[in-house]
Amino acid sequence: MHKFKPSNTSRFLGFVFLGIFLVYLSNTVDELRVYQGATVAMYVVAISSIILLTGYSGQVSLGHGALLAVGGYGAALLRNNFNAPIWLCFAGAVLMAAFWGALLGATAARLSGPYLAGTTLALAVGLPSIANQFKFLGGEQGLIFDIGLPPASLGETFSQYKWFFWIASLTALISMWWLQNLLRSRYGRTWRAVRTQSIAAELAGIHVARSKVLAFTISAGLAGLAGALLSMTISTVSPGAFPLSLSFALATGAVISGVTTLGGVIIGAVTLVAIPEIADSLARRIGASENATINLPGLLVSGLLIVTVLFIPNGPVEQIRQRKMK
Amino acid sequence: MFQIFNTFLIGVTAGSIYALMAISMVLVWRSTRVVNFAQAGMALLSTYFGYEVIHQVGSYWLALPIAMISGAIVAAVIELVFMRLLLKHSSQGAIASIAPIIATLGLLGLIKSMIGYFWGNQDVSIESPLSNVGFTLGTQTLALSPMKLFILIVVSILVIALTFVFQRTNLGLALRASAYAPEISRLAGIKVDLVRTFGWAVAGAAGGAAGMLQTANGNGALSPDSLEFSLLLAFGFISAVIGGLDSLLGAVLGALLLGLVLAFVLTYIGGSLVFITAFVLLLVVLLIRPAGIISQRAGRRA
Amino acid sequence: MIGKNRRKLIAASAVIAAGSMLLSAAPAQAADPGLTSSSIKLGITIPMTGIASPGYNKIPGAMKAYFEYVNANGGVNGRKINLVVKDDQYIPTLAVAKANELILKDKVFALIGTLGTASTKAISRSAQLSARGIPSMFVNTGFSGFADKKAYPTSFSLLPSYQMEAKVMGKYLDDNFAGKKVGLIYQDDDFGVDALNGFKQAGVNFAIKIPYASGSQAVAGVPGTWITKLQAAAPDVVILFGVSSATAAALGNAYAYKYAPKWILGSVGGDATTLAANKVPPAFLAGAKGLSFAPAPSDATDEYIKMFMDVNTTYNKGVAFDNNIVAGMTSAFLAVQAIKAAGPNLTRKSLIAAIEKGGATFANPALSPLGYSSTSHIGATGYWIGTYDATGALKPDGGKYTVYTTDSGTGPVVISNYKRPAMPAKGLPN
Repeated sequence: MHKFKPSNTSRFLGFVFLGIFLVYLSNTVDELRVYQGATVAMYVVAISSIILLTGYSGQVSLGHGALLAVGGYGAALLRNNFNAPIWLCFAGAVLMAAFWGALLGATAARLSGPYLAGTTLALAVGLPSIANQFKFLGGEQGLIFDIGLPPASLGETFSQYKWFFWIASLTALISMWWLQNLLRSRYGRTWRAVRTQSIAAELAGIHVARSKVLAFTISAGLAGLAGALLSMTISTVSPGAFPLSLSFALATGAVISGVTTLGGVIIGAVTLVAIPEIADSLARRIGASENATINLPGLLVSGLLIVTVLFIPNGPVEQIRQRKMK
Repeated sequence: MFQIFNTFLIGVTAGSIYALMAISMVLVWRSTRVVNFAQAGMALLSTYFGYEVIHQVGSYWLALPIAMISGAIVAAVIELVFMRLLLKHSSQGAIASIAPIIATLGLLGLIKSMIGYFWGNQDVSIESPLSNVGFTLGTQTLALSPMKLFILIVVSILVIALTFVFQRTNLGLALRASAYAPEISRLAGIKVDLVRTFGWAVAGAAGGAAGMLQTANGNGALSPDSLEFSLLLAFGFISAVIGGLDSLLGAVLGALLLGLVLAFVLTYIGGSLVFITAFVLLLVVLLIRPAGIISQRAGRRA
Repeated sequence: MIGKNRRKLIAASAVIAAGSMLLSAAPAQAADPGLTSSSIKLGITIPMTGIASPGYNKIPGAMKAYFEYVNANGGVNGRKINLVVKDDQYIPTLAVAKANELILKDKVFALIGTLGTASTKAISRSAQLSARGIPSMFVNTGFSGFADKKAYPTSFSLLPSYQMEAKVMGKYLDDNFAGKKVGLIYQDDDFGVDALNGFKQAGVNFAIKIPYASGSQAVAGVPGTWITKLQAAAPDVVILFGVSSATAAALGNAYAYKYAPKWILGSVGGDATTLAANKVPPAFLAGAKGLSFAPAPSDATDEYIKMFMDVNTTYNKGVAFDNNIVAGMTSAFLAVQAIKAAGPNLTRKSLIAAIEKGGATFANPALSPLGYSSTSHIGATGYWIGTYDATGALKPDGGKYTVYTTDSGTGPVVISNYKRPAMPAKGLPN
């Protein structure tokens, strides 16, 4: 298993430079953008978990919001009950979501396309009501997830949002670096084989079901991490933060990014954050009626989604790559 | 004893509402192999057309067929301009498994925003044409009213008529053939594209009926953000999956099973278990039969 | 020579640049964001679309209408009020994002009327309202926690808590239905838990309690099972402590099954207009009991309601007048009072201080006393009990509003002798 090819070093350096650039960026843009940046980083992790699942292992989940919830609650419980440090909360979130993902994945491996979609959809619909059944989950108002103030060594003017942004970006960079190594490894090739030629893969000695469960588990772990990041940016975790529309939004982001390439993940993440704001200012500029103003964001997201699926189904990155090859 | 009987009636009538939605999902799945999440939006839009008719003319009985016809037209148009493009561009590679789902989700959002733009985001209301008061049996009131009886009759007629069309006519054969093997069907002289559009149109009409009936049976309120329609979609889809997605009869059985299980769980176990019960029921059914109650072939690979 | 001049020029421009920076920074230090000598910017995030939006999405329009009315009459201390509305779809994540946009981009002076317990909590924590000193006026939730000054030093609530409401109901049951069998339908989350605590304190024993999961009232068949359960247990009195759609669903199904106990409707789900729009025949509602802290929307003899109706006609395109409109305008009215009281040298701090100091005596439509003080941020503290008539309008028992007041703790329920301050002329705070 050649995990570390020479080109890995340069890729690693690429990630380091990206990190340095983000630090520079966080010092130049205003606080709102820094906050949105943290949300973008969260979406990067969440969308990549969908890309791994759908683009690489060929499974469909409409209920990833539920796995984000597992991660968010896991992190908050660790923080509130054991006063765990942030990194441990995140690790706990990953493990807890991965555990549930493995269980779900074991079921999912038996199901094909629409049946899996239905099951995950039912999970996303059913999950929020659980939080109200158990007192330690805090009911509808949820739990507080407070990661604390930024360290004093960063200076007094260092804002809370910049701290969120740094943590979220670092987390996203590390997990993306790890994920792309994973996808280039034997596992990545196995998943691709299973997705494109599952019968051939089986004949070639690949354990199809096991490979699918593994993909689901890792995807769930990433989703859990995203859930912890999401809870961090809103400082709380509650059932309402993980509605069905979140699951749909993540699927949307994955398609806009292009499900087959991890490289486009930032496009989907930025789009999800930017669209409502663009719609807002657009509506204000053209002085739209109230009905138009309220409905414009939904219209833009849906329209963009449809255009993407119809005309650049494999995402912008893949599209450019194909055009270059022609 | 009477409580058991009424709970049974509640389960059956609720199931018949899910069944209408499940039927339209199955019709689309059978004709184009697409799980149509826009179904709720399409049903909502046709119900708004129905509302407009009631608003202008004042007759529910005129509004119901018009809603069904407009539902059929909307569905046919969507299939013609939209799903064909989709099949052309996104039927290959990793995207193929998720593209139809995502595209129809996009469509759902698009339809909702457009309804919000034209009719506003606030509730409008539809009056029920028949009495909602239950029939009386001795001193007891049944959980069955003229309106609910009407719904049961409409669902039965639809299921029987559609089953007949699918199983006993050339059109039905063409529908099934073009979904399973479009290329071979084309060689056999079947106008595959036309047949698919027809499948969508029938589904659209069924969705329109579901919307009009559910609204009249429920609280009568209608809005682009209607919780009723989102849940109708979720429960209709869950019913269809339980039933096996390929079978009309399966969809109806799945819907009735879901309706009955929910009614009995809510009455005799716990009042707040609705959503989790639906999930557990789906999981249990799929663990026993991974392709639903009435599956065409065991272990089918989609 | 030229070089020297150039150096001078550079030095001069540097001085000018520095000076202009100082100048542009100076007003920011003098005044809080969102404030000029002629305007105030307020912001609200609320579900305008999404499953929780119907009904609530009328609130910002009502607020805007009242603010426009005030602006048309010269504003508050010469300042016109401008309300920026954001749609949060009832999702806490989105609510925080929108609140941040309001604070950091639109630079609003204060928040008003954020809705929903989870969203309000998330906004308060993540947007750091207390650290930034941003007032959050009259949050729209009955969860009593937001009145806790220590946890939420800049937030003020308006609605009485659900616990208070349950205690008032308990007192009413004690006085009128002692020894009768009581049933309850409640939402199985914090909303219901708060109420259960209140009922427990009031010593109410239920013959049957039916919880429902939030949203499940919209699933076909679910409300029917509530009624069959009630029929089997046969209580004399049934309390409906749920949201409007659940209350309507319960009443609609009871009507269908000809089931008619004595109903008591909680204030959250008791809006007659919403119920009528949800096919509950007004005649079926007749005789049911209801609670409210504000005058009934149908009570045109109330000076505030009359004024609100006029404002609604002129400035809100005459949309259907209901509890949501009353709620929105009441918040707006109180906000105007608070801004007025804070005086011409308005700051965020002085606004909070003004509510703490004079809030309890502000003129406002609420019929129960307001609890604002330097130690408490709770708004209305009680309810009046009325009976729905054959048109669906809630009429106070005995022809006048008798208000019961209590707290969210173990305090007793007593009849309040609070006398609401008279409405300022033309409904414009003076």
